[in-house]
Amino acid sequence: MRLLLALAPLVSAAACAPGAADDPSRVEVGIVFDIGGKDDRSFNAAAWAGVKCAETGFLPDGRTSCGRPPLGIVLRDVEPGTPTSIEPAMRAFAERHYDLIIGVGFAQGPIMEVVARDYPDVRFAIIDGVIFEDDGKTPKKNVASLVFNEHEGSYLVGVIAAKTSRTQTLGFVGGMDIPLIRRFAKGYEEGARSVNPDIRVIENYVGVTDAAWNNPGKGKELSMAQIGRGADVIFAAAGNSGLGAFDAVEQAGTENGRARRFVIGVDSNQNGVKPGFVLTSMIKRVDTAVYDIVKKVVDGGFTGGFHVFGLEGDGVGYVVDEYNRDLVSPEAIAAAEEARTKIVAGEITVTDAMAQ
Amino acid sequence: MTRLDSWGLTPLLRELRFPLVAVVAAFLVAGLIVLILGDNPLDMYWLLVGTAFTWPDGIGYTLFYATPLVFTGLAVAVAFRCGLLNIGAEGQLYVAAFAAAWVGIELADLPGVFLLPICAAAAILSGAIWGGIPGVLKARFGSHEVINTIMLNFIAVALVSYFTQYHYKVPGDPILQTAPVGEGAHLARLGSIVPGLPERIPLNLAFVLAVVACGLVYVFLWKTKWGYEIRATGENPGAAEYGGISVRTQIVVAMAISGGLAGMVGINEVLGYRHRYYDGFSDNYGFTGIAVALLGRNHPAGVLVAALLFAVLQRGGVQVDAFTADVSKDIVQILQGLVVLFVAAEAMFRFRIRPAAERVA
Repeated sequence: MRLLLALAPLVSAAACAPGAADDPSRVEVGIVFDIGGKDDRSFNAAAWAGVKCAETGFLPDGRTSCGRPPLGIVLRDVEPGTPTSIEPAMRAFAERHYDLIIGVGFAQGPIMEVVARDYPDVRFAIIDGVIFEDDGKTPKKNVASLVFNEHEGSYLVGVIAAKTSRTQTLGFVGGMDIPLIRRFAKGYEEGARSVNPDIRVIENYVGVTDAAWNNPGKGKELSMAQIGRGADVIFAAAGNSGLGAFDAVEQAGTENGRARRFVIGVDSNQNGVKPGFVLTSMIKRVDTAVYDIVKKVVDGGFTGGFHVFGLEGDGVGYVVDEYNRDLVSPEAIAAAEEARTKIVAGEITVTDAMAQ
Repeated sequence: MTRLDSWGLTPLLRELRFPLVAVVAAFLVAGLIVLILGDNPLDMYWLLVGTAFTWPDGIGYTLFYATPLVFTGLAVAVAFRCGLLNIGAEGQLYVAAFAAAWVGIELADLPGVFLLPICAAAAILSGAIWGGIPGVLKARFGSHEVINTIMLNFIAVALVSYFTQYHYKVPGDPILQTAPVGEGAHLARLGSIVPGLPERIPLNLAFVLAVVACGLVYVFLWKTKWGYEIRATGENPGAAEYGGISVRTQIVVAMAISGGLAGMVGINEVLGYRHRYYDGFSDNYGFTGIAVALLGRNHPAGVLVAALLFAVLQRGGVQVDAFTADVSKDIVQILQGLVVLFVAAEAMFRFRIRPAAERVA
């Protein structure tokens, strides 16, 4: 009987649910996640936070406000799970003439290229990828390519790292050795050298296959080796493998209540992963980028082509919050802020390893 | 009636009775779960089944998804008829897909009339070899095919991944896939043949091949001496041996045919769809093939129907995930699990019902 009572509200709720019929007057947005799914606590999660904010004005937990107004959209999402499901998912939205279809991650590039060609009137957005017309040069008109100036954000954390390091030796642990990650490394190194031209930066990569994103053991091993060679701040741009670097600095322990080695997080705010050991995080505001592109569709201002998110407009940056406020010196923050102003003003140009 | 019996259809229909009940029961239970989650089950049924049969996208994609499952279902069924459990279809199809791509890249300049059949043969042959290895191991040393096929799955996946990464990837490509195969190795999409079917739907001639393969497997198993020998071995190896059949040979032959059928997935994937080897392309086709064969009672016609059912679920799963508020694609996995569970539970029903049925007969 108790079970029946518990079920009753559910059944009645189902009976009067509006079902799958969506209101056509509202802007319809469909998002197709990467294989990782929307709860990866990193890249996909940030995209999910962005669209959820546009739908409800709240973060995915449904309680915390995301600080921006809801846009009154109808939101539908797919977690493909397998590579063969990405294309039909994208097409399912396109067939229903959704107003915006978002693809998460560069791996969806080849698929979106084909689908966007079949549906020239439907608007698409891809995160971290670029899609061209058939000539391979002009950006595709109905696709917004959302890309980030990771090198600029990395420059700032490079400055902070150099200002913090006592050994004047820094470490960089990259995931897969691809141009995108070289871009993080180069910016980090240049930022550090702007503080001390003689600083040593040890650069290692976990691997050259996809598996490199998901090998925390190897990430820890590399970090331990870097610590052994004197590195006391390690920037980990290695997806899940980066968590190995967090373990390594924790293992190095503390001295008079302060960590002896630090790690710098990436993509999302990872300051709270190992409080006390995380100097700061180099964040990519995927959530902001996604929200903005949805807003442009709602306002009728959508344009295809490259949408670059840099320091200006806080598309990339570093985080200071309650976890690391006591770890970063005011001097380091001042130096980073100065560098930010100069980069935005064009006085400093950070080398883009992807453009080389 | 006797004419039908000579086709083996009446027993098949009788065989399909239980799977049918199992499917209906699974759908009812899944509907109940959806109701508890707070969505409308009728909407879920429509998204799951209805969207799979809309023209042209629904039908096109459903048949496209069914294609690899027909091949792997047949592969498992043939081995099973010989009393063998081929858990290695997954590894066999990976090796075959890579082999097809490899030949398509190496001989890219050949004209299609040569290249296409060579690539297809490469897929079938490499699958047959990969499936034949555990067959030989079983026939010669008596080592169990279940263990060996599972182990060979790991080796196959790692091996083709290694070759893709270090030898056949386009330099600088962040996606783990090979270079494209030559134009001549492209299998025509059905959209270019069937009027009204848009060419963007990846359904291709491999589906026709899958249907033909069903027919060939049927004829082979029930209308030829070799098929009889395989079935005899499966039914009772001792009696088969006594009757002059070399059980060892049958084991190797059945596993090789099984592997070759699994390898045909590579034709659909590489020659018909992506035109390159894409690492990790298989959505557990090899393992779903076991469920397909189980549901289809190890009969080619049953396999075809079961593959279609699983394809409908796959197509509908995406739709359910996208267009319901609370139900995720996991409901489809639950549904698949329920179907298999209910089919397996049939043994219990059969145990109770059969004596009664025999009394009537």
